Amino acid sequence: MGDKIKLLIADDEAKFLESLAKRLEIRGFYVARASDGRQALRYAYQERFDLALIDLKMPIIDGKQVLRHLKEHNNSVEVIIMTGHGSEELAEECLEIGAFGYIPKPYELDKIIEILRTAYAAHLKEKHRTNTALIEQLSTLEKEADPLNALIGMRRLAE
Amino acid sequence: MILTIYLYTQYRAMEEESQRLHLRAIAESQANTLDLFLSERLINLSNIIDDPRMPVPATEGFLNDAINKLQMASAAFVDLGCFDASGKPVAYIGPFPSLTKQSYASENWFATLKEGRSNFVITDIYLGFRGIPHFTIAVSRVINNRFIALRATLTPEKMYDFISSFEGAKQVHIATVNKEGFYQLVPPSLGTPLKPSAFMPLKNPRLGVSRISPKTGAGTYVYSWLNKVDWALIVQEARSREVDFFSDLRTRMVIAATIVFIILIGIIFVRAGKAVESTIKFERNRLQLGQAAKLASIGELAAGIAHEINNPLAAIGAEAGLVNDMMNPKYGETMTPEEISSHMDSIQELVLRSRDITQKLLKFVRKTDVKLAVENVHDLIEEVLNDILGHEIEISKIQVERNYECKAAEILTDGHQFQQVILNIVKNAMDAIGEAPGDINISTRCDNNKLEIKISDTGKGMSPEQLDKIFMPFFTTKEVGMGTGLGLSVSYGIVKALKGDIEVQSEAGRGTTFTIRLPVRA
Repeated sequence: MGDKIKLLIADDEAKFLESLAKRLEIRGFYVARASDGRQALRYAYQERFDLALIDLKMPIIDGKQVLRHLKEHNNSVEVIIMTGHGSEELAEECLEIGAFGYIPKPYELDKIIEILRTAYAAHLKEKHRTNTALIEQLSTLEKEADPLNALIGMRRLAE
Repeated sequence: MILTIYLYTQYRAMEEESQRLHLRAIAESQANTLDLFLSERLINLSNIIDDPRMPVPATEGFLNDAINKLQMASAAFVDLGCFDASGKPVAYIGPFPSLTKQSYASENWFATLKEGRSNFVITDIYLGFRGIPHFTIAVSRVINNRFIALRATLTPEKMYDFISSFEGAKQVHIATVNKEGFYQLVPPSLGTPLKPSAFMPLKNPRLGVSRISPKTGAGTYVYSWLNKVDWALIVQEARSREVDFFSDLRTRMVIAATIVFIILIGIIFVRAGKAVESTIKFERNRLQLGQAAKLASIGELAAGIAHEINNPLAAIGAEAGLVNDMMNPKYGETMTPEEISSHMDSIQELVLRSRDITQKLLKFVRKTDVKLAVENVHDLIEEVLNDILGHEIEISKIQVERNYECKAAEILTDGHQFQQVILNIVKNAMDAIGEAPGDINISTRCDNNKLEIKISDTGKGMSPEQLDKIFMPFFTTKEVGMGTGLGLSVSYGIVKALKGDIEVQSEAGRGTTFTIRLPVRA
C-alpha cells in the first residue's frame, strides 16, 4: 500500500464520486472520497495526499476555496480542479492560485489518469527538490561546524 | 426672457433720464458759449467805438483797420458801418458797398439805439437789404453831443460752426430759434433759417425740457434761452440715419437686448435639445441595458446549463465506465448482476434528471402566452395547497396559516401561471423549513388597484449575497439534484408578465417572506 499514489477526490455528486473512486481504485490508486469542500479540507489535514481531484462547484466551501486554503497552508498536495462549468476564466484563476491543472467534466478516464500521472511526477520532483534542499542545508550546517571546532582546538592550544 | 424685458425697460428709463441730463448739459453749455460769443463780438465792437483815436464820424480808413481787428477776433464779422443820427451810413467797409445808399432810420436796431433804449443791439437773423441771412450787432455812443452808431453784420454760418464744433455734437441736433419761433441757426437736416421751427420753447423757465408738437414731429428737446439775445438754443437727440448705427446708445441697447434674447433662446434650445437627446440616450441605454441583462441572463443560463447537464453526464460516464470495468476480466469480473443493475438504475436516474433540467429550461425560455380570466386568488391558492401539495404538507411537520384579508379577491389574471408561482414559492418555503417543525403563513390584502399576497416561512432564510441572486436562473441554495435554480426565475418572469411585481425579504436563520403584488385589472 505504501507505494500507491494517494489521491483525494471531492465532489458533491455522490454517484459520480463513488463510480470514479472505484474505477481509480481498481487501477491502483489509493482514493479518499469527500462529498464537499469542508470534508475535503478535513481529510487533507488528517492524511498526507499526493494528489487531489476537486470539483469546482460545491456547496458551502467550493473547490476554489479548498485550493486556496491548501496553498496558503503550504500543503504539498498537487491539486487538479474539475469543472462542469466550462468556464475557462474560473479555471484560469485556479491555476494562478496554484492548481496543477484543470479538467472539464465530463471526461474520459484515460485523460484523467494521464493528468494524474503527470501531476504525480511533478509532485515527486518537488518532493525531491525540497528533500535535496534539506540535505544541502544539513551539510552546510556540518561544514560551518568545522571551523568552530578548529577554533575550540586553537583555544585549547593556547591554554 | 421676462427678466430681459424688465432689465431692458429699466435700462431704457435710466438711459432716457441720463440722455435728458446729457442734452440739458449740452444746451446749457452751448447757450453759454453762444452768449459768450455774442458778448465777445459786442466787446470787440465796443472797443472800436470806445477807441479815442476814432474820428467822429468814423472814416473809412479807420473802419478798414477796425474790420481787420474784428475779423482777427472772429471770422463771423462780415462788414462794418458807421451811422449818424439820421440813420444814414457815413462810412462802410465790406462786400456790400451799395448798402451805403440806404437809410436805416426805420430799422428796428437803429430805432432802439437812437431812442436810447439801449446802447447796443443784437438782432435776430434776417435777410435785410442784401438778401442773405445775417444778423447785426450795433453799438451807439454820444460823443461830443453827436450820436454815432457802429454796426457790424455777422454771418450765422461761422457762429453755427462755433456752437456745433464741440465733442459729441454729432449725437445731437443744435438749433436756435427766436422768440417768435423762427429758426435762427439751424442745420440743413433740421430746417431752413428764418422759417417757422418745430420748436416753441417756453419763456419760463429759461432752461427746460419740452416736447415737439406732434404735428411737426415727435420727441423731447432741451432748450436754453440766451441772455444777450432773445434766442433759445435747442438741443435735440439726433435720430438721423446718417448717425453711426452703433453710436446710438438706444440702438446699441436694443441690439444688446436682442443678442441677450437670442442667446437665451439659443441656450434654451440647446438645453432642451440636450435634455431630449439625453432622454433618448437614456432610453437607448435602458434598452441596451435590458438587452445586456438579457444577454447576461443567457450567459448565466448557458453556464447553468453546462454545469447542470455536465454533472449528470460526468456521473453517467463514470457509472457506465465502472460497469464496463467490472465486466473486464483484467479487473477480475467482481461485479454481481444486482450491482450492475443498481448502476444502470443510477444512469437512468441521471438521464431523467438531465431531461427535467432541459424541460424546465424550455419552460423558462419559451414565451408562454398569458391567458386572462377572472379568478379568485384565494381559490387558486387553496387548490395549490390542497390538491398539489396536500400530501407533502400532511406528512411534514409544517403548519400552513391563512390570513385572507382581501374581501374582493377576484382579479383578472392567468390562473395557471399564478398557481405555478404560488407552487414554487410554497415549495421553496417547505424546503427551507425542511424536516423540522415550522410555519408557513399566507396572507392577502387588497385595495382598488393592487392585490398583495405575502408568503412567509420560518425556515433557514438566506444571506444578503444569496438574496441578491435569488431570481437568477440556476441559482439554488439546495443540494445538487434537489433544485434546478429555475423555479424562482420562472416565477419572476410570470409575475412580470402578469404586470405585477415580486419582492423577497430574508434573514439567515429567521425565515423568508415573498411579497407578490398583482394589478386587480391586468
